[in-house]
Amino acid sequence: MDTRDILDHQFLVAAYAVTWAIQLGYLVWLGLKWRSQKRDAARSARNSHSS
Amino acid sequence: MKRLAIGIYAAVTVALMAWGFYQAIYVAPNDAMQGEIFRIIYYHVPSASVAFLFFAISLAGSIGYLSSRRNRPEWAQVSDAWALAGAEVGVVFCTVVLTTGPLWGRRAWGIWWTWDARLTTTLVLWLIYVSYLLLRRFAAGPQMQTLAAVLNIFGALDVPIVYMSNRWWRTQHPAPVFGGDSSAGMDPSMVGALLWNMLAWLAWGVLILALRYRVERQQQKFAAAEAQEALLG
Repeated sequence: MDTRDILDHQFLVAAYAVTWAIQLGYLVWLGLKWRSQKRDAARSARNSHSS
Repeated sequence: MKRLAIGIYAAVTVALMAWGFYQAIYVAPNDAMQGEIFRIIYYHVPSASVAFLFFAISLAGSIGYLSSRRNRPEWAQVSDAWALAGAEVGVVFCTVVLTTGPLWGRRAWGIWWTWDARLTTTLVLWLIYVSYLLLRRFAAGPQMQTLAAVLNIFGALDVPIVYMSNRWWRTQHPAPVFGGDSSAGMDPSMVGALLWNMLAWLAWGVLILALRYRVERQQQKFAAAEAQEALLG
């Protein structure tokens, strides 16, 4: 493998890794948003019951 | 039953992603001119296609919102949730396009970026939709959804310009692989990998789009319930 091939391989790995990092990062953010929303809804329901 | 269907869909999507990766890395041959770096196309092109599709869904949602906000408020909220979900997931895919493209460009052209027509219009598209998301995040008041819907319609006008840019202006970006002139096209041994990855990324995109839509609908219902509670004291 010459230097060109090694660099090509590294850039390919970087492109695939960045793609997955963006997609999975967004999925995690969405999951956290959903969880906090559920928590807020439960708290709101509890408050309206107690008042 | 619904949970089972979602689980099966998610499992099929993961299998498609794995199969698409296998096709891209182990089945498709290296490009004769570019070598291994060409394989970036198997993530870059499907991401662009899915981004365009989701911006179109977002446009349809905004048009639906504007046309029904006075007489069918519930339908308007559903449309608005699709508009937001489409724009946000579209931005995620567009971000992938704008990061994988320069990685390919650095090896193929020797530069990370150039102000070529396709690159510039894609960056403008991304900026417009980021503005749309920022408007939705930070603006308040009853006019916010209407303003956002109008911005979305203007933003969507850039989608056909991005698509046609490397047909109208021949600059640095490669000519279209599909739907281009007579010299366009791809070796049949590579087409399979591209189509599998298109299908895989579409399936993945639909999964996160549906999840984002659901989160937004929950948010709308929660906000409506809180507003009603505040009114009742």
